Formats: sequence, structure tokens, C-alpha cells
Amino acid sequence: MNDRVVITGLGVVSSIGIGWEEFWKNLLAGRSGISPVSSFDTTNHFTHNGGEVRNFRAEDFIPAERLPFMNRATQMAVASAKLAWEDAGLTAGDAADHTVGVSHGTTLGAAQAIEEVDSLLIQKQELRKGLLYQMPPHTAPSAVAREFNCHGPNFMFSTACAAGNYAIAYAYDLIRMKRADIVLAGASDAVSRIEYTGFNQFKAVAPEKCQPFDKNRKGMIPGEGAGMLIIESLGSAVRRKAAIYAEIGGYGLSCDAHHMTTATVEGIAACMNKALLEAGIGKEEVSYISAHGTGTVANDKIECASIKEVFGPLYKGIPVSSIKSMLGHTMGAASALEAIACALIVRHDTIPPTINYESPDPECDIDCVPNVARKQTVDVALNNSYAFGGNNASLVIKNFAGKKERGLD
Amino acid sequence: MKGRAVITGIGVLSSIGKGRDAYWKALQRGATGVRPITLFDAAPFRVKSAGEIADFEALAYLGKKGLRDLDRSTRLVCSAAKLALDDSGLAISDEMSRSVGVAIGTTFGSLHSIAQFDRSGLTEGPRFVNPSHFPNTVINSPASQVSIRFTIKGFNTTLSTGFCAGLDALSYAADFIRLGRADAVLAGGVEELCEETYRLFHDLGYLSGMSGAEPVSRPFDAGRDGFVLSEGSAVLVAENEEYARSRGADILAVILGCGNAFDPEADSTFERAGRGLKTAIAQALEEACVRPKDVGYVCSCANGMPGLDRMEARILHEVFGEDARHVPVSSIKSMIGETYSASGALAVAAAVGGLRQGFIPPTVNHRQTDTLCALDIVPNAARAQAVKTVLVTAADPYGQNSALVVGGYNR
Repeated sequence: MNDRVVITGLGVVSSIGIGWEEFWKNLLAGRSGISPVSSFDTTNHFTHNGGEVRNFRAEDFIPAERLPFMNRATQMAVASAKLAWEDAGLTAGDAADHTVGVSHGTTLGAAQAIEEVDSLLIQKQELRKGLLYQMPPHTAPSAVAREFNCHGPNFMFSTACAAGNYAIAYAYDLIRMKRADIVLAGASDAVSRIEYTGFNQFKAVAPEKCQPFDKNRKGMIPGEGAGMLIIESLGSAVRRKAAIYAEIGGYGLSCDAHHMTTATVEGIAACMNKALLEAGIGKEEVSYISAHGTGTVANDKIECASIKEVFGPLYKGIPVSSIKSMLGHTMGAASALEAIACALIVRHDTIPPTINYESPDPECDIDCVPNVARKQTVDVALNNSYAFGGNNASLVIKNFAGKKERGLD
Repeated sequence: MKGRAVITGIGVLSSIGKGRDAYWKALQRGATGVRPITLFDAAPFRVKSAGEIADFEALAYLGKKGLRDLDRSTRLVCSAAKLALDDSGLAISDEMSRSVGVAIGTTFGSLHSIAQFDRSGLTEGPRFVNPSHFPNTVINSPASQVSIRFTIKGFNTTLSTGFCAGLDALSYAADFIRLGRADAVLAGGVEELCEETYRLFHDLGYLSGMSGAEPVSRPFDAGRDGFVLSEGSAVLVAENEEYARSRGADILAVILGCGNAFDPEADSTFERAGRGLKTAIAQALEEACVRPKDVGYVCSCANGMPGLDRMEARILHEVFGEDARHVPVSSIKSMIGETYSASGALAVAAAVGGLRQGFIPPTVNHRQTDTLCALDIVPNAARAQAVKTVLVTAADPYGQNSALVVGGYNR
């Protein structure tokens, strides 16, 4: 039951790259994926920027006859799954010989389909069946499983902006319980006017750019994307002679049990502590924290206080960056994309920066890797995510090769 | 594995009864919950009846405080959670709150809240939308409000797998207990009746009565023509066995095993489907160390969709072989209707009633057996019979399949 669990494939659909190679290159270059929103009219909103994936062409990944039955989030999920599947060197034979599961996450599910229905009803138009078919969120893990003929367990976690971590976490459990040999684990969300309007009305959206931990930060920027990881037992990876990006050391979940939209230091700290305890990682061993780092005044302040609570005086020596500074907040997909970044960080010993950092905030005096990527040995990364409802999740992602193999010992 | 998951409390809100005792009595009586819709104007729809819960007042369960901004899904699940906690006698204290979690199956949260928020933005303009309604549009809102209301800090998970969501939440909870991730979990499902979800199933053509006939929930019957959409919530307190015993809880049942498998062949006809459900059942039985011939009752997911019921009957024949006609297999959906995301949890709540009180709920509204569903469906009247082990099933047209085995508790 305590078989080690590893990551052997990565698939990315993001505003700064499709496929992990382009995504990684642009993360290290500090490229921003923020642009004016084009998928709906923002004339009457307070802000107009978003993190849309401008060059995503679903037809490059999905046969035309299936597209009418998939909302945009599901299309991005399938595309990211295809990229991860190929990256892991998996074949149709592997799907037949192994129990392959899907563990997926989302904040909004098929919000764009729901919005299209709302618009059509207001205009008193007919609803086509393909659109209705798109509406439930579990179309995403269903479409992913169909793509590769997977017969294993199939789950959809709607734990808002921590959903990617929840999905990866349960994939880890499924493998350790031997319910699956291989799991496609990830999350997807498409930019939605419901979400955009909601965060606008919360006055939580930055007008121009996302500046986590900056003194003058003005908020988050709604984005979209999909991230998918191939998670498998070490035994299965070795048998397949798969390349291993990283190992999952364990995870921690917690709930603030306080407020739908205000986080607590106590809840977030508990979550990080649980993850470290399960992974058997000492605080001094954590070499990088992938921050939730949305760029809102409240989030970044509470997150920094939580990191100080957990790590005490060690906190200044731990790099903490937020790739949301580049992607915006891709909702449920965020922690899946951040987990992918962590896998690449421990593999390549390089940390992507927090861009748009201009003015230090004494309340956020962590080392946020400002503006420029950093070459640094990273053995253990902690991937933090917090969500509406106080649904917190932290994931430990470890270097698999070990220091010796990398010539660092 | 760090111990078994037992059930120590049940909270139910259904169209046939509120509270577990009333629910169990209604199941024994063969009551039905189908009635004309009052929650929204059903005039534009071809079918105008559903399994609406009459006289549901959250105030009676939750008091006045903090109710104002909660939608119906959230009110239902919080009320069911309150009933479950009271039933189990589990008091959430500061010391143990971090080892208690919440796992709720809901596919949309509240589709009404989501659509209403969107329509407000479209018709009044985005700057006139009430921000306090935004949190209700997030699918994890009902589960999160359970944690907030009862101060449950261990974890909070929402599963959105349609017809399987309620059962999946229970198997997730059982896993968390067995893995030592929690001592206790409030696990279940919720479905509200609202115009938007109703329209979805109506327009997809899933509902009984689309031809103009009176809508009737008639699983396994030759004359079945779809399901009656219903609302409801069941929340169960699942606990580590040792933990429950140490606090002297009355243990109602034990979760013996779970299974989950995807079926790429599934669609709304279920014509080519079956492999997934069969695998899920096999896994659940294997994990439970229960042989097919030791299953005393199957609490079936059949809901009156012609293909689904036939598929399940075929798979049960494959699982049970020669014994297939002798195992009681009934569908409580004949009484409570199809409660979608809540259905699996309501089925387990019914199964525990059967285990505890020695009865098998009937499949009501039965007239004529479908020869392709040749099973002992316990037609029309409950059967007094001791039951030790129940298999509960769930299947979704998108391909998800879940099974769970629950057994009576003997120390």
C-alpha cells in the first residue's frame, strides 16, 4: 500500500503556452499571458483584462464531430490530457493492460455552457441537445476517459480554486490503495462571465496586471487553462521505463470553517503542516513554496502570515513565487498548473519568478523571487492552494532523482 | 489500512419523509413523493410534477441565524447534516474538529443560484449584480456551508459526478477513514429542485410523462418511460470504528467495500454499457470480502430510464448467475424519484434502514415485469426480512459507475 507515487507526464493548456515546454520556457522568461477579454463583452465591467488562452485550437486535439458536445473547459481538459498522455509515452495498449483512472477538478465546471443557455433563454431561442449535454461538470473527466478508453475510477472534484490539488491528491490515494495503476489527474476552467462579474463586484480584479506580494497590488485577474499530470506507482513507471519528473510525497487538506470568501491563517497553516507531516518532511527541508498568491490584498497578506506561522524564522530562506503573476488566476486549473510547475522546478532546479513586482510590502516580506527566474537546488516543493469555502489543499512534490544523481552531493 | 468505516448517524430530507425514522417508515409503507411542482412555474414544461419536498423549512433545523443568503441546496444539506449529527451524538469540539471532514456529492451546487446570478448580470448589467450572491454560484458552496455552520476543520470536499456523486462522497469518506486521514466524516449528497436543473433533464428527454401521460416512477416495469426528477439530501456520519466505539456511539452499519469504474461505452441509452458497473460491483464485493451469494439485498439505481434499468438487470444476472432471480433487487427511486447527486446517499440511508429494521423496501408502481429485467424486484409492498449485507449501485450516462457494500454491525 505504501508504493511510491510518481509523476511521469505533463500536459498544459495555458495563456503562456500549450504543451509544457513552451509553458516552462515562458514561466522562466517571466512572460505575461494577460490580455483584453475577448470571449464576452466587458464594456460595463470595472476591468477588461483576463488571462484567456488566445491560441487554443480545440480542433487540433479533438475530432470535429465531438466538439459540439464539449464546453471549452472540457475541450481544454482533453487537450491537456492528450499532451500529458503522449509526454508520458503511454499507448493504447497501456490503457488496455492497466487500470487507468481520471481524477479531475474544476471551479466553474461548464459555466460557459450554462451562460450560453441563459443567453438563449433570454432571447427566447431553442436550446440544442449538444449544449444541454455539455452542462454537467463531469463531462470533463468523462471526455478524458473516453479519449484513451480508460476503465478505471473516474472522479470530479469541484473544490473551487483548490480543485487541481484535490484531484491530484485523490489520484495519489487511488494509486496507494491500488485502485488504479495510472491516473490522469488535473483540472480545467474556462474564462466565464459569471466568474468575471462576481470578482468584479467583489472589487477583487486588478485593472492591468497581477502583482502578488507587491505593496500596491490591486487584485487577481481571472484566467483560464488546463493542467494534466500522469500519476502512477513507481512500479508501473519502472516497468514502462517511463521518465520520472518528480515524486508526490503526500498532501494535506483543511477547512477554515469560517467564511465563504475570507481565509484564515489557522486553516492555511494547518493544511501546510498536515502535508509536511504526511510526507515526513521537516520544515528546514522545504526548498520552495508555490504560493496560492492571487494578488489580492487579503490573500497575499494572510498567506504570508501563514507561511511565517508554519516556518517561523526559516521563512526568509525559502523562495515563494506565484505563477499567477503571469497566468492570472486560472481557478480550479491553477493548482494543477502549479503542480506541473513544481514538477519542472524540482526536475530542473530552477524557480520561475513572481513578475510585476515593484514595491516591497512589509506584510509580505517573503522571498518572492522577484521578476527574474532563479537557478537553485530544489529538493522539496510545497504547492499551496486555497479556495472559496475555506477548502485548502497543500501538496508535497519532491525531486525523484536525489542529489547524488544530479551531481549535487 | 487503519480501521473500518462505520455509520453512526443519518440525516435525511426527502419527498417521502424528513428525518431517518420517518424516511424508513415511508419506505416500508411504499409512500411516493411525486406531487405538482410549486417551487417554480412548471406551466412551460410538458411534465409538471416532481419529487418536491413539501413544507421544507430550514428554520426548523438550523434556527434563524445565517440563513438569509443560503440557497435551497445549501439549506437542504445543512439541515440533513444537523439531523445526522444529532442522530450520531457526535459533538464537534475544538480538540477534534481537525480530524473531522465533510464530503458532499453535488453536481451543480445550485444551478438556480448560478443562472440567476448570470441573468442578473445580463438583464441589469454587471455592475448591478448583488455581490453577496456570488459565493452561492460556486459548486462547493453547499459543502462549505456545512463546515462553516458546524465548525468542521479537517477537510471539505465536493464531488460532482452526477448520478454517482452521493455514493462517491460516501466511498471517499470511507477511504479517508481507512487511510487514517479522518476519524469522522459527514458524507452524503444533495439535490435541489429548481427550474434550471428541471429544464436540463426535461429537454434532454429523460423525464417520465413526456408523451403526455401522468409521470410515474416505475423502475424495471415494462411500461416505464423515464424518471421523475426529485430533490433531497442525505448526510451520514461515517466514523472510524474504534473512534465510534470509544465514544460509545450506537453503530448503525459498517461500510464494507467500494468500487468505481468508468464505462466508455455509456450513453443515455446504456445499450452498449455494462462493463463499468460490473467492474465497480466486483471491486466493492471483493473489498468487502462478500461473495455474490451472500448479498442479501441490492438497493438499485434503476430509475425508469428504459436502458439504464435493463443494463443493471443484465449486469446483476452476470454477477449473481443462477441466483439472480432470488436476490431481492428494488429501487427506492420508485418512491422518492430520481434525486440525481443525492441518490446514492439516500440509497445507503435506505439500505441501513433495511439492515437495522429487517425490511426490504419495495419497488412501487409496478404493473408488468419487463422480461429483460427478470429480477425479484420486491413489487409494490415492502418485505419483512432480515438483511445482513446490501449492495448499492449508481450509474451515470456519462460513464461513471459506483458500487458500495454496507453491512449490519456486529461487534
